[in-house]
Amino acid sequence: MSLFAAEKPGSALSRFWHKWRFHINVLLLLVPLGFMPKYFADAALFRGDTGLGEREIGEVQVGPWSVRLAELRNEAPRPDGPAGHMKSFNAALCDSCREQVKATYLRIGKPRSLRAAGVIFFGTPYRMGAMLPIPEKTKADAELWITMEGWDGSMHQASIPLSQASPATIAWLSIQGGKP
Amino acid sequence: MINVIRPLSAALVLFCAGFSASALAHNPMCECKAIDAEQIKCTGGFSDGSGAPGVTLDVIGYDETILVPGKLGADSTLTFKKPGAEFYVLFDAGPGHVVEIDQADIEAPGT
Repeated sequence: MSLFAAEKPGSALSRFWHKWRFHINVLLLLVPLGFMPKYFADAALFRGDTGLGEREIGEVQVGPWSVRLAELRNEAPRPDGPAGHMKSFNAALCDSCREQVKATYLRIGKPRSLRAAGVIFFGTPYRMGAMLPIPEKTKADAELWITMEGWDGSMHQASIPLSQASPATIAWLSIQGGKP
Repeated sequence: MINVIRPLSAALVLFCAGFSASALAHNPMCECKAIDAEQIKCTGGFSDGSGAPGVTLDVIGYDETILVPGKLGADSTLTFKKPGAEFYVLFDAGPGHVVEIDQADIEAPGT
């Protein structure tokens, strides 16, 4: 009772605060509003409303088939702990090859064998995803190899320069600067 | 006391559940080291911290012949004798879940 009496002759700001502090907390509801643009942008990206990814790479012909590639995010590879840095790519199979293609793989550099064809794309043929590990010592002139395996046992390969597939990755590699 | 803790722990569980999606990815990883001049020890696992006991790990020559067909032991490691020919190590946890380690990337003993 007497505890608060001493505060009575406070400043105008203090009086305002003590009168309204319980109502002002309603303003906390505004905090999530600041995060909403990013939330809705991400939701649209993952739902596919804004296309296959943040940056479309284009259609790549792989033997008789073709695949539309995109970077999920137009940014440098993200670290994944001890597994190294990973870069996410999305892909969509061409209309005629959805029934024929069994698996699609992605790798930096030409695969030694089908067994070591790289990471596999998973998901629906309309929107597949793969996380490609990017070694820090990758050369700037490296190539991204796409390996496609058909249900009939056939295998087709194609490559595009990494600089075309992901300029952000090339920029990131140049900062890693000559690590052995 | 208990009445206070219950809602708190419930909130904590919800909080953790909301952030767990980021930990779902588990990429294969493998590390090989030469333990002496003759032996190479490879350790496999996944980036979510789980081990890889029983997963195939083959040592393959540059000519694609399998020099050492192996499986990781209960401790997720495999030790093999260094082949004479040029080789690479293939940690094979299934199609598209492989890690290749070239012989040039295997650390020498003592490092």
